[in-house]
Amino acid sequence: MSNTFVDAYPKQARIIRQAFLTSFIALAIGAFFGLIQALHRTNILRAIESPTYYTVLTGHGVFLVITFTIFFLVGVYQWAVTESLERGPVDMRFTWGWYGLMLTGTMLAAFAILAGFTDAIDVSADVLFTFYAPLQGHPIFYIGLVVFVVGTWLAGADWFRTWLAWKGENPGKRIPLPTFMVLTTMIMWYISSIGVAVAILAFILPWSIGIVESINPTLTRTLFWYFGHPVVYFWLLPAYLMWYILLPKLSGGRLFSDPLARVVFILFILLSTPVGIHHQYLDPGIAEGFKYIAMTNTMFLLLPSLLTAFTVVASMEHGARQRGGKGYFGWLKALPWREPAFTGMALAGMVFAFGGFTGIVNAGMNINYLVHNSLWVPGHIHTQVGTAVALTFMAGSYWLIPQLTGNRLVGRGIALFQVVLWFVGIVIMTNAMYRGGLIGMPRRTAEPEYEGFNYEVAAGSVGELNAQVALGGTLLFVSTMIFLALMILTLFNGESEPIDNRTIPAPLSGPEDSPPVLDNLKLWVAIAAVLVVLAYVIPLASIVSRGGLFGPDIGPFPVFVEPVSLLIETVLVSIGW
Amino acid sequence: MKIHTYEKLWLVASLVLIVGFIATITYGSVALGITMVGDEEPTIEPDEISDDERFGEPRVEQVGENEYEAYVIAQTFIFQPETIEVPADSEVTFYVTSRDVIHSFSVVGTNTNTMVIPGEISTLTVEFDEPDEYGIVCNEYCGDFHHTMEGQLHVVPEDEFDMTELAVEADDEVEIDDDATFEVAVENRQLEALETTVALEIGDETLEEDVTVDSQMTEETTFTVDSADLGEGDHDWTVTVDDYEESGTLTVAEDLEDEDGNEDGDEGDGGDDGDNETDEEGDTDE
Ligand code: HEM
Ligand SMILES: [Cu+2]
Ligand SMILES: [Cu+2]
Repeated sequence: MSNTFVDAYPKQARIIRQAFLTSFIALAIGAFFGLIQALHRTNILRAIESPTYYTVLTGHGVFLVITFTIFFLVGVYQWAVTESLERGPVDMRFTWGWYGLMLTGTMLAAFAILAGFTDAIDVSADVLFTFYAPLQGHPIFYIGLVVFVVGTWLAGADWFRTWLAWKGENPGKRIPLPTFMVLTTMIMWYISSIGVAVAILAFILPWSIGIVESINPTLTRTLFWYFGHPVVYFWLLPAYLMWYILLPKLSGGRLFSDPLARVVFILFILLSTPVGIHHQYLDPGIAEGFKYIAMTNTMFLLLPSLLTAFTVVASMEHGARQRGGKGYFGWLKALPWREPAFTGMALAGMVFAFGGFTGIVNAGMNINYLVHNSLWVPGHIHTQVGTAVALTFMAGSYWLIPQLTGNRLVGRGIALFQVVLWFVGIVIMTNAMYRGGLIGMPRRTAEPEYEGFNYEVAAGSVGELNAQVALGGTLLFVSTMIFLALMILTLFNGESEPIDNRTIPAPLSGPEDSPPVLDNLKLWVAIAAVLVVLAYVIPLASIVSRGGLFGPDIGPFPVFVEPVSLLIETVLVSIGW
Repeated sequence: MKIHTYEKLWLVASLVLIVGFIATITYGSVALGITMVGDEEPTIEPDEISDDERFGEPRVEQVGENEYEAYVIAQTFIFQPETIEVPADSEVTFYVTSRDVIHSFSVVGTNTNTMVIPGEISTLTVEFDEPDEYGIVCNEYCGDFHHTMEGQLHVVPEDEFDMTELAVEADDEVEIDDDATFEVAVENRQLEALETTVALEIGDETLEEDVTVDSQMTEETTFTVDSADLGEGDHDWTVTVDDYEESGTLTVAEDLEDEDGNEDGDEGDGGDDGDNETDEEGDTDE
């Protein structure tokens, strides 16, 4: 008798598979775009015109950090809620409803972005995933984003509803840990995504349609980053969930501490949002004091991640000792390194720890001058969301997809190779990105070698850095394709049964060791709201009083005009001067 | 709540680490004086930049003995001025604003780096000790030719730095026996008075005059040359002041068809054009 998730919950497995499918399609396109960028920037292969680079980069950002990550998130969270509450949603039609909304939103945004590749359609949105006004994309792009976000809100509502129904059936019980993680993540998401919703609905969308004339760029930018830091935790928390829930099991043991895990997720509710201004350290028009507050909050936000590092390593050690591991470090050898799901997550965790330190550099207000918007930042992005999250998702899929399909994973050995290849690729690519950033190479630039100056490279050369970015990027692309191929093969590997059992062993220290107040979600929402108000009300008021709600008279700057006409404009302007 | 001893130790160590980071950054702000771009400057309407006292003419100004201010505009896809020149051993405050979208003003390989947001003025004060040449890039995506947006920052040795401008208005042609005049204007935008020599070379003759130009003033010198001494024909001339030089050709003719008339107007133009160029020349001949 097989005991997989799909056997127990076939209907839920279906929608989760659907979410993963959408997520993986986005990954495929995003990875291809990444390859184009890695080769173009470095002048190894320029298959596109440089202005088109920004269409590609917009796609890379949106498809990977919005579509790939968040569709995967809803899949994992649906799995976690169903498995830990031992029940499906109250009404599956509602569940399909939010999935449908998210998909519609994605399609709209994707259409606006991809239309940028052709002149045949008068639509484009080369605004990158940060869409800073007064750069202006087609309204469809913004509408798509809003519809997508509303879809995620309803997904959260669905999980809360499921939990309330469960609570009615199980009075007095503690919230099971995986569901606790889902609910806390969604609370954080509700608090933070309001920022981007207001930015789009109140300001950018009306302005892009032409209902209002002008915009306050600092205001929309601040609202974006109000959301923009918590969103990185929205990507990260499903990976944390897998580190807390799956990794200990895969290591052969059990989670070290359930209470600590709860504390960690609560800290994320409290601290993820009042830090967004750390992305605006170098913005004029925001007083230094607000930046200082954001800096201290950001440093405290290290705490939940440091605690996670402890719990994850402790759980792995426990698992290894269960498997007969001995010695101070000798237990490391006893870990299941041949298991791709385990190895992938362990490597992802290692890269995350390293990337965390580069994040401290970014967070260091006055050190930020040195790295802000340099290639260092995509270096950081790819170690964190690009590996800690993406590699954990891929590794997790090696365990989850058999659970969701009832099929045995095809090519375990190849899968192991795939995760290691990703690790190698990311080390090569990000190493060069970090170094490139330190010599002042800008990010988001199609041709980062300029006419008027050369970079001063202390050791090595620009050519060598370029070669590493291109090589690392290529390895990452190949690794992604192997992953996707294995997923497809597993999907069609009908004649088999997965090896693993789906039970997740109870933590060493269970919820009974923690005070019930941890489960008082209303309390945490209230405290989080106070912190957000403290951190944001005065800065926002000051931004509005400086620049006005709808800003000074700044004309829109559509990035969907043809490159040629813009070029002519530029030439004219330069001649004029 | 039950917390394992190791967990407690880790928690304490983490908090110590965090407080340590905050202390380090605070030290950088307070003791090293690395301040953040802030909100000290008033806002500015992007379409009124051209009428602004500072940004109407993007430039470098001297405001103290070793203190300078640079007014810079970022716009798709250029910086104005494209080349910023300041002396070594000086303190320069950059004021940067944008005419259109969000840009950055980033001096490559240094921590001089700021976002430039339309409506706002970014200020950064930087000390330059040694002569050097830097690239400036825009590192915030600003449109499809963002990658072409660059400028230069030249920190020149103190003794090679000045803010002198030379303009010459000279006759193009004169009738033989008439005097040819050269009106030389030397502007000094530095705070210290400029003591220098204006020299005119024409034919075999060299005329010189010592001038003292007070701060923010323009001193005019007129040279008069008797064209009979030069003789009929074309004569190349050069006016030099320190590193700056302006040249042209004077034609001495037997008879000029229309003597007075619009001659003056033409000459005026010639002089002005040259003026712009001379300013650049001074930069490049190090
Ligand atoms: C297939 C492997 C990948 C390659 C070759 C790749 C390559 C690149 C390169 C070269 C850049 C820098 C572009 C520039 O600043 O000019 C970039 C930016 C970026 N990448 Fe990737 N990447 C890959 C995978 C990923 C993944 C898996 C994620 C996230 C899940 C990701 C997220 C991002 C983000 C958010 C940016 C910044 C976009 C922006 O500045 O607007 N990338 N990528
Ligand atoms: Cu952040
Ligand atoms: Cu730019």
